[in-house]
Amino acid sequence: MTKFLLLAFRNVFRNRRRTLMTLLMVGGGVTGLLLAGGFFAFMFHGLREMTISNGLGHIQIFTAEHFQRDEDRALSTGIDNWRQAAATIRTGRHVRGVAPRIDFYGMVSNGSKSSVFMGSAVDPAAERSLGFTARLSSGRDLDPKPDGEIEALIGAGLARSMGVKVGDGLTLLSMTADGALNGVDIQIVGIVNSGIAEMDARYLRINLASAQRLLQSDRVTNLVVGLDSTEYTDQVAGELAPRLNGMAQPLVLKKWIDLATYYKQVRTLFSGIFLFLGVIVFFMVLMSSVNTLLMAMFERTREIGTMLAMGTPRLWIVVLFMLEATLLGVFGAVVGVAAGNLLGVALNASGLHLPPPPGNTSDMPFRVLFVPGLMIGSSIMVIVSLALASILPAIRASRLQIAEALSHV
Amino acid sequence: MDQSPAIVNVEQVSRRFALDHNQARSYVAALDHASFAVEPGEFLAIAGPSGSGKSTLLNLIGCIDKPSEGRILVDGVDTSRLDSSRMTTLRREKIGFVFQTFNLIPVFTAAENVEFPLLVQGVGARERRTRVAEALESVGLSSRAGHRPDLLSGGERQRVAVARAIVHRPALVLADEPTANLDTRNATQLIDLMRDLNQRLGLTFIFSTHDARLLEHTPRIVRLCDGQIESDTHTGAQLLAAQGASHD
Repeated sequence: MTKFLLLAFRNVFRNRRRTLMTLLMVGGGVTGLLLAGGFFAFMFHGLREMTISNGLGHIQIFTAEHFQRDEDRALSTGIDNWRQAAATIRTGRHVRGVAPRIDFYGMVSNGSKSSVFMGSAVDPAAERSLGFTARLSSGRDLDPKPDGEIEALIGAGLARSMGVKVGDGLTLLSMTADGALNGVDIQIVGIVNSGIAEMDARYLRINLASAQRLLQSDRVTNLVVGLDSTEYTDQVAGELAPRLNGMAQPLVLKKWIDLATYYKQVRTLFSGIFLFLGVIVFFMVLMSSVNTLLMAMFERTREIGTMLAMGTPRLWIVVLFMLEATLLGVFGAVVGVAAGNLLGVALNASGLHLPPPPGNTSDMPFRVLFVPGLMIGSSIMVIVSLALASILPAIRASRLQIAEALSHV
Repeated sequence: MDQSPAIVNVEQVSRRFALDHNQARSYVAALDHASFAVEPGEFLAIAGPSGSGKSTLLNLIGCIDKPSEGRILVDGVDTSRLDSSRMTTLRREKIGFVFQTFNLIPVFTAAENVEFPLLVQGVGARERRTRVAEALESVGLSSRAGHRPDLLSGGERQRVAVARAIVHRPALVLADEPTANLDTRNATQLIDLMRDLNQRLGLTFIFSTHDARLLEHTPRIVRLCDGQIESDTHTGAQLLAAQGASHD
């Protein structure tokens, strides 16, 4: 077997120029996939962290009821004893902080004009400790300990619609948990520009305590958990779930990926594009390798005839050709992975930037991530491609008529 | 000649090749009802001009082609009744081949080339080393064991091919025009080497040639012309007498 492998190995380097061309082709395919896949991975990573740091957090805790029915009144499916739940969560490993939130809605009025708002009530200190900051176009963020009037951030579109600016006042009207109508006056301290026009036309954010006063409830909609790193999400979720089961009110835990709809859509789209690229590279390698391997087979017709004449089983010839192609694939993959990593390092060091993506104002850095799974996957793909490409030449070689093969010129 | 059974029996063998695949009746007869027997230990030359059917006959005896008519027995086995797999096994175990163009595997060294038939037979590594060394020693190429074919002369390559043909101790060695690509000196040396192995190891050799000078020391010559056996000449007695006189 060792000799047979040696024969295959030496045959690979028999025609060096052709082998070099094949290695360049196979390696080029792997390199292309690594760079494209590495860039996509960087984008996914960036989008993931941006999604999480924009306020989604790594894990969110809701009541089980929250997903079973719509709220008939404000916070009717909210978390009762949320302080105890938050304290329990904070004791977990890798938990950086817990931020309570309330989602509410109602009408906002400037005295002469009213509009619908979608409100989010937060604990500014908790949000800040988790790195969640509002994207302000003017003004400042909410004060964790305001004195006097209720502070609010409103979306740029809502501010334009209501004709208000930082420092102006508005009145909020909302249904309380008991079904009564309640109202509070707010003072605008900042204008938010999220980049999503539909959201900015309705967005409003106030302090958690103010919202609870408005809604006449001590409940919160959910708890947002921030971790030391996204990589701990599964681990922490696994550890938290049984601990939350001990709470009086049934709570459910949602990981960021369960809630990140936009991220999943983007990832699905780009994964599809990458798969398409992979299929193209696969067939490119397959087709050109078939040609190369057929040429090699024709060149070695007499040699194959000699081996067959000496009593070599035909299956050995098939195995020999497939082994040679597989080795070529392995070498091509090694060349491709090495070149892909080197080029990746060079590109990352070059400081290359891409134009701003939609909704952003700053350039996007061009970075390539080194993903071991991608290297292994691309390598396996080209190796399989080469092995498949060798089937036709291998079978042809094994079926040669010995007498004709021996007289082949 | 003793009364041992023939190692090769060619019985009324014909081989026809179709000239046009679409017209089955249009063919050329490369061999036409040839019959002869070869005893173990014989050193036999098949002579004749190009196109006389020498290679066809050797291919048929070597089980790399099948006769259109008649039958060939190798070591008592009727090869016309064998399927492809058994033919392969017969070639592997009973026959050694020497080709006109040497046909060594270029990426293997001389020793590795000689080792190849043993690999195919599944002989163990230690046994292979011993037998390869013996085979190379017997053709006088021990010192060239590690050289690849492109670093060997034509004569040396053909001697490696001979070593490869005998390393697995076959019942029969077939050599198709083994001297065609050699100069006269190397050609004579090769025939002498084959004759020496024939006498020393008792190996049966059948080789084809169209070079009359190489037939001078050949004890038996089967002459072919247009696919038919023209003559089957035994000169063994005269040769032995000549060798005896020279020793005196």
